[in-house]
Order: sequence, then C-alpha cells, then structure tokens
Amino acid sequence: MAELRQIAFYGKGGIGKSTTSQNTLASMAHYFDKNIMIVGCDPKADSTRLILHEKAQSTILQLAAEMGTVEDLELEDAMKPGAGIFAPDAPGGWINCTESGGPEPGVGCAGRGVITAINFLEEEGAYEEEGLDFVSYDVLGDVVCGGFAMPIREGKAQEIYIVMSGEMMAMYAANNISKGILKYANTGGVRLAGLICNARMTDFEYDLAWALARDLGTQLIHFVPRNNIVQRAEIRRMTVVEYSPKSDQALEYKELARKIIANDMKVIPTPLEMDDLEALIMKFGLEEEADEDNIGKSEGEA
Amino acid sequence: MFILGFHFPADMGNTVPDEKVVAKLDEAGIDVASINEIKMTTEYHGQIEELSYTNKDTFMFKALAHYAKTSETDYMIYTNRYQISELSKRLDGDDETMALCKKLDSMAHFKITAA
Repeated sequence: MAELRQIAFYGKGGIGKSTTSQNTLASMAHYFDKNIMIVGCDPKADSTRLILHEKAQSTILQLAAEMGTVEDLELEDAMKPGAGIFAPDAPGGWINCTESGGPEPGVGCAGRGVITAINFLEEEGAYEEEGLDFVSYDVLGDVVCGGFAMPIREGKAQEIYIVMSGEMMAMYAANNISKGILKYANTGGVRLAGLICNARMTDFEYDLAWALARDLGTQLIHFVPRNNIVQRAEIRRMTVVEYSPKSDQALEYKELARKIIANDMKVIPTPLEMDDLEALIMKFGLEEEADEDNIGKSEGEA
Repeated sequence: MFILGFHFPADMGNTVPDEKVVAKLDEAGIDVASINEIKMTTEYHGQIEELSYTNKDTFMFKALAHYAKTSETDYMIYTNRYQISELSKRLDGDDETMALCKKLDSMAHFKITAA
C-alpha cells in the first residue's frame, strides 16, 4: 500500500484556495484514481461544497454542539462521501469530505475548530481508511493564528502548497506562510512543496510568481489562468472537472494534479525580508520605486 | 521541479540548467524534421489572431513541435507556454522568435497544431 500523503493548501483569504483545491483534488481523483479525504479548516465551511454539490456541509463543531460534546459524535455523521463522480461506488478515485467549522463571527477562537476536528478524525480512525492516498487540508488565510497553523505545527500536513497571485498582499501572505513553515520545519517535518498561482491576469504575473518561488527556494508548480467556466461550474456547485471534463480549464487542473502526484520537491523555505519582497515587485514594474519626495502625494500631485 | 511538463528530480534544485531541458526534449524523440510549420490561434477579449512559425533551427520550434505532438488537445497550457518563451529568450536570438515570445507571454488563450 502506498504511503498516505498529507498535503495542505494555504493562502491569503479570497485568493481562491477552496476553488483551486477542490478542482485539483477532483482531478487527482477523477483522472488519476486517487482516494482523498478533505479536511476543510475554514469556519465558513466551503472547502467541500463543489465535491458534495451542497451549499455547505454540517461541520464537526456544529454537530458536536448539537450532540452535546464531540465525544458523542460518530465519524459517519461528520464525514460525507463525495457526490457524482467522487462517490465511493463511482469509477475512479473517491473523495470523503469533512469540515472543521468554527465559532460565530466575532466570538471565540476560529482555529479551535481545526484542532478539535483533526483530533476527532484521528481518534475515529478516519486516516486509516483502506485505500486512502491523500489527506488534504484547506486552511483559511494566514498562519498568524496558531490554530490555523495546527496542520503545520503538529506535523499533520507534510507538504504545503501556497495558493497566491501576482498581487502584493497575496505575495506577502505567501511569504508569511513560508515563515510559518520555516518555524515548524525542524520539529514537525513540514515542507513547502510549491506555489500555485491562481491568476488574476495582472501584468507580469507569471514572472512575479516565478521569481517569488525561486527566492523562497521552491517551485512555481502551476499557473492557473482565470476562466469564467470556473464560476459557471461553481453556480451548479460543481468542480470544472465534473461540469466540463474536456474543457481547457479542466486540462489545467489535470496538469496541476499530475504534477502534485509526481512532486518530490519539498523544501524548507527561505522567506524574504519585507524590503526584498517590495524590491521584487518593483523589479517587475508593478510598483515604481517611490521617490521619497513623492510619498503620500496623489497621482495628480506627483 | 516541472519544466515543459517534464519532471526534474528535487535534488537538481529549483533552477534547472537550460541544457538539461533541451536534453529532455531531445530524448522525447519528436521527429521535428517532418514538421514544417507550427500554427497557432490566439484569442483575447474576442480578438482572434492566426500565427505561423517556421524557424526550424530554434529551441522554440522544437519545444512547440513537442508540445503539439504530445498534448492531448490543441489547447496550450499557460505554464508550459510561459516556460517555452522564458527558455527561448535565452536560447534563441532571432527577431521572429523574439516576437513570438512576446505573444506567448500575453494573457491570450492559445491553440496550437503542427503541420
């Protein structure tokens, strides 16, 4: 039996992590027969909706609250088999789905759900399911919150894929996540496995993403172009792979899936200092080096 | 590390020498001599452009021929396209190829066939 690989998708909030991860994992299952468990680690619980064809699945924290305690919860209540082509009895690989959930907005620690969920899944034997090839964590935003760093910190996720774009804050977050990986690389064995550019189609985006990857010591594993078919599929609560398996965009996700399956480049990253990150952005012309006299002046003034 | 879809082992690091990529292309055994023209169609915001490339002595021709002959459809994966351009800028120098590199670097959608 092949060794279980635990991967995670991190990135700035709103960058398209859940869309990218679900389409990529769908490709890994559909085209390459991989069996996968998704652990959604985002309080908004949108890491599995395209695989399940649902608005949002009941989260482990919600179910535990309904039952009284997490000890009263059974695995079959919290883990749902994928719908359509991702179901256990469909040809190809299967996908099982769980969502950690989190507190109401503004209340409590959002990372607590991640910790509770992973402990529950481990205790219930979810990681020992026969034929399971990959566990994938889809993690909210940055790693400034220790709870969201849990898959890294506790050595659960071994290979991290950072979803980013050529925008400044997405690159800043990618660099920050690399700092988090670096912090726990020696204790938990976590490694950076690559950047995925979920393109905004901004100028020099590929060059910028490639240069950041090089400076972090990793690879730009794939550049995912923007395509409206992704949104059309999402409206039907489907991945592109299922909605239009022969489309150009499905081919892009298929290629990314192939590379992740074959990927052996897992590195301890070398994060950049803020000045170096800004210099990188200026080099590709997204930002002109500011003359000190022009700081704080509008376009018309300077 | 993946370049033009080829896998290069992790121990080669994240900057693979260009000659290693060229060697992989050669090993792939595409009969470039039998191909006379690479045809491409680009589309961006409804603007369609037909392109033809015939400079057989370049890395660009070899890479495009390999892509056209091995890809499962005529759609060009963006990552591969950008990587072909990046390598071609270092390995080729003629004006026709550099003009094509500029087009490959764009956000446009590309279709490709080898004739």
